[in-house]
Amino acid sequence: MRKTVLRVLIGGLAPLAPALLAPTAGASELEAVLAKGVSTYKTFCSHCHGIDMVNAGTGSYDLRRFPLDQRARFESSVMDGRGDMPAWGDILLPDELESLWVYVATRGGRDPYPDAEEAGAAPPPGAPKPEDSAAAAAGPPDLELVDEGRLTVCLARNGGALSGWRHEGGSGFDYRVAEATADGMGLDLAVQWFESEPEEESDPVRETYALLAKGLCDLVPAVPLYEGALGPPPAENAAPPRWDGMPTRDWVEFVPLEPVAATRPYMRAEIGIVTGPGVERAIEGPEDLAGLDLGVQQGTLSGAIALAEAPQATVDASVTFNPGPDFLWKLEGGAFDAALVDVAAFDFHRRQNPVSLLTLHDWRHPLGFNIAMAGLERNPNLVAAADAALADLAAAGALAALAEAEKIHYAAPREPWMQRRLTRRDLRRAP
Amino acid sequence: MKFERYALAGVLALSLAAPLAAQTPEDLAADASTPGNVLTYGMGYGQTRYSPLDQVDRSNVGALAPVWAYSLADTRGQESHPIIHDGVMYVTTHAATMALDALTGRQLWKTALDYPAETPRVACCGIVNRGAAILEGRLFRTTLDAHVIALDAATGEEVWRTRSIDFKTGYSMTVAPLVADGVVIVGVSGGEYGIRGYIEGYDPETGERLWRTYTVPAPGEPGSETWEDEAGDAWKTGGGPAWLTGTYDPELNTTYWGTGNAASWNAGVRPGDNLFTSSVLALDPKSGEIKWHFQFTPNDPFDYDATNEMVLTEIEGRKAIVHANRNGFLYVLDRENGELIAANEFVDEVNWAEGIDLETGRPIHTQIYHDAVAGEPVTYWPSALGGKNWAPMSLSDQTGLAYINTFNFGMNYKAVEPQYRAGVFFFGAEFSWEWPDGHRGALRAVEPTTGEVKWEQRSDIPRNAGVLSTAGGLVFTGAQTGEFEAFDAESGDKLWEFQTGSGIVGQPITWERDGRQYVTVVNGGGAVYVLFAGDERLAAVPPGGNVWTFALPGE
Repeated sequence: MRKTVLRVLIGGLAPLAPALLAPTAGASELEAVLAKGVSTYKTFCSHCHGIDMVNAGTGSYDLRRFPLDQRARFESSVMDGRGDMPAWGDILLPDELESLWVYVATRGGRDPYPDAEEAGAAPPPGAPKPEDSAAAAAGPPDLELVDEGRLTVCLARNGGALSGWRHEGGSGFDYRVAEATADGMGLDLAVQWFESEPEEESDPVRETYALLAKGLCDLVPAVPLYEGALGPPPAENAAPPRWDGMPTRDWVEFVPLEPVAATRPYMRAEIGIVTGPGVERAIEGPEDLAGLDLGVQQGTLSGAIALAEAPQATVDASVTFNPGPDFLWKLEGGAFDAALVDVAAFDFHRRQNPVSLLTLHDWRHPLGFNIAMAGLERNPNLVAAADAALADLAAAGALAALAEAEKIHYAAPREPWMQRRLTRRDLRRAP
Repeated sequence: MKFERYALAGVLALSLAAPLAAQTPEDLAADASTPGNVLTYGMGYGQTRYSPLDQVDRSNVGALAPVWAYSLADTRGQESHPIIHDGVMYVTTHAATMALDALTGRQLWKTALDYPAETPRVACCGIVNRGAAILEGRLFRTTLDAHVIALDAATGEEVWRTRSIDFKTGYSMTVAPLVADGVVIVGVSGGEYGIRGYIEGYDPETGERLWRTYTVPAPGEPGSETWEDEAGDAWKTGGGPAWLTGTYDPELNTTYWGTGNAASWNAGVRPGDNLFTSSVLALDPKSGEIKWHFQFTPNDPFDYDATNEMVLTEIEGRKAIVHANRNGFLYVLDRENGELIAANEFVDEVNWAEGIDLETGRPIHTQIYHDAVAGEPVTYWPSALGGKNWAPMSLSDQTGLAYINTFNFGMNYKAVEPQYRAGVFFFGAEFSWEWPDGHRGALRAVEPTTGEVKWEQRSDIPRNAGVLSTAGGLVFTGAQTGEFEAFDAESGDKLWEFQTGSGIVGQPITWERDGRQYVTVVNGGGAVYVLFAGDERLAAVPPGGNVWTFALPGE
C-alpha cells in the first residue's frame, strides 16, 4: 500500500502520539484536517465521548466502534442529534464536521485513514477526486446497504420451493439465486426472513413495498414484473409482514412506502396442468380435460384460467376449493382428477411428498410472469449492481443449473418483460 | 467540636404553630434534628449530612437489606438528593421529577421535563440534576436548559416556570435550589463555556426573579479591579459558576455559596485575582447582597472550582465553615466574617502550592503554578477534577471528623490561547491525565482543623458519591462500581456492602418513619469521572438509575 507515516503530537503533552497512515497523495492535507479534528473534538465532543476518544462506553457511545463506512450516519447524528446525542447543526462549521469525521475515522489519529472501499462514499480529504483517478474506476461501486458489507435479502420462511428457512442458511431457488447474486456483487448474503401471509389475507405487492420501506433488507426477490407491482407505491402506508426479530406489539406498525424498482427477471412463473393418480392419458392442453373432475382453487389466477380454458361441461362440473398447499394433497387423495396450478406450487408439493403420484404435464399457459428482485428506487446503484450480477448468472447458465439442483422446473424469462394489467381476455390462450 | 443545631427553642415553638402538612421555613431550619423528614439538601441547612439516628449501628449494619428499589428509567449519571416529607419521597433526574411512597417505593406521580435537543452540549460534566427543594407544598427544581420551576408537591403539576437565561450561550442548571428566608436561591453552571456566573433569588409564590448577583463584577463594580487584562473584557467570559447548593445560617441570615473556576483556564490572559471566582460568597438571601467573600484560588489556572459544599459547624466556639476545596486544601473559616482559621492538605499530593498563608489566606505558590500561568507545560496535582470533586462530604457530630471521598491523580497541562465561541468549550488549555499506580481515590476520615487523616479506604476507581454519617457510628457512601457501602466511623473498617447494579454517584440520606430507620441512595453510574477519565474498567458497570431504600429486617 502507498502509505507514509506522519506523527501528530498534540501540544507535546497528550498521550496521543499516533502513527497516522494515509495515502501519499494529500497526506499533509490529511494531517492538517486531523489536527483540526483533534481540537474540534476536544471543544465539541470530549465531555461526553471522553478525552482522546477513550471512554467506558456505558454512559455515551464509544466512538472507537463507529463503523467506518457510515460517514453519512455520522454526519446526520452530529448535525441533527440522535438519541441522547445533542444536535450541533446550528453551530458546527462544515470544515469542522469534516475534521471530526477524519478524527473519528482514524480512531483519534491512532489508525490510518480507512481505504476508500471501507470508508463508504468518503474520499479522504485532500485525496484526488475520483474522476481524476484512473484507479478509482477499478473499484466496485459504493453501495448503500442495510447492513455494511452484506447484501440483505428478504425471503419468506414459508416460500415453498422458492424459499425456506433453515437453522443455518436457507433453501429454495430464490435463496440460491440470492446467494449467487450476493456473490456476484462481492458481498456476503444475509437473509431477513419473514412470514408471508396467506394470499387471501394480504397483498404481496404491499408486503414487498413495506419490507423495503421499513429498511429490513436491500432486495426482495420473487417480485413479478407486473404493472402496478413496481414503481410508485400502491398506497401511502402499509404494514410489513411479520419478520424475524419483529418486536412484539399489540399494534400494527404501518410504514410510509417508497417507490420500488426492479432488476432484470431471473425466472418466469408459469401455470401448468397437474393430474392425479388415476389419470393416464396424455394432456396437451385444457381441452384435453374433458371428462375429468376439475378442481379449482378459489380466487387464484390459475383457477380463473381453468374456468376460462377448460371445456364448458368440465367447468360446469368443477369443484371449488380453498387455495393453499392442501389443494394438491386433495388431488393426491383423489378428491378430483386435474387442476391448473402454479408450477412452483407443484414443485413444492413434490418436495413435500417425494412419492407423489401427481403428474405435471408439459403444457404451459402463455400467460406468465417474469420474476425479478425489487429494491428501493432511490438506491439505483444497488439495483443496478444486482441486475449486473443476475445478467452474469443468466449468461453463464447458472440459473437453470441452480433450478436443477433445487429440483424445480425452470422457465427462463421472456418477452414481454413487463406484464401489463390483466384483462379477462388474457386468461384465454393467445391464438 | 459540637454540631450546631438550629432547632432552637423559639424555632420549635413556631413550627408547632404552623399547619401540620406544610413545610414551613421553620421546618426547613430544623431539618437536621428532625430525622422523620429530609427537607433540605445535605440533611440540614448546614449540610453536615450527619443524622442522629442510631437504630442501624456498627453491631447490626451487616443485616441491612433492601426494602424497595424504583427505576428512574434513565441512563445518565444520577446525583439527585432525595427530599422526604411526611412519608413521600421526591427525587429528580434531568428528565423528570417523581414523588414516591417512601415506605413502598410506589410512584405517586411523575412529571416529565422536556428540553431542546441542543441542551446537553452545554453540560460539561454529565446530564445531571441534584435534587429539589421544598416549601409549603411546593417543590422547586432547576432544568438543564436553565429554567427554574415550581411544582405542586401533591400532584406534580407545574405551578410556575421562569427562564433564567438562554442556555445556548453556555449556561445550564443542575443545582438543587436552596430555600432560605423565603427565597428560592439557585446558581448557574457553565464554567467551561465562558459564561459570566451568577446566583439568583426567586419568589417561591410567583417565580419572579428577586435578585441576581454576578460572581464576576462588571467594570466599576467592587472587585472589578482584580480583572487587570489590558483589553478590559475578560470579565465578560470570566466564569465563576455556582453549581452546588449553598448552606444557610438562619441566625446570621446568611447563605454561603461557593463559586467556580475563572474562565478560560488560561490564567495568563486574565491577570489579577479574578474576584469572585474560586471563592465563597456570604450573601443576604433576601437581596443577594455580598456580605463578605473569601477567595481560595486567586487567578486560578487549574479549574479549581470552589463550589464544593460550605459545611456549617462550630469550631472552638466559633461559627465556622468547613470546606474541602478542589485545590487540595481543607479550609476552616469564621462564617461571621470570612476570617481564615485553618487550611491543611487533605490529599497526599498537592504540588501547585506549598500551603496557605493563614495571615493573608493566599496560597504559597510553587514554581508549577507560575509555569502554568506562563504557558509552560506542567504536571500539577490534584487534577482539574480536584482533590475532591462535587461529591459532598459528611461532618460527624459524633466523631468530629470530616468523611471525604478524595481523588488521587494529577494532570498534564499547558495553557494555550483561548478562543471564545458562544456555547462551546472555552478551555484555553491542552490537558491529559496523570494517573498514579494503584489507587485513584480514597474515602478519608480527616480532622478538619489539622488535616490529620484518621483512616482511609483506598479504591482503584475513585468513589465520587456523597457521604453520610450517623449516630450509629457509621459512614455510608457508594462506589462507581455499584457497591453501596457502610464503614465504621471510628476505625474505617468496611462493615457492609450491597451491589446495586450500577455505579453510585448519588447522595445517601437516612430517615425514620414509624420507628424504623431507613437509608436511601440513588444509584446510576455516569457523570464527570465516567465521561472524562476514560477509565475502561468501568465498561463492565452498566448505567441505569434506581432509588434504593434499605432497612434492618422487620419484626
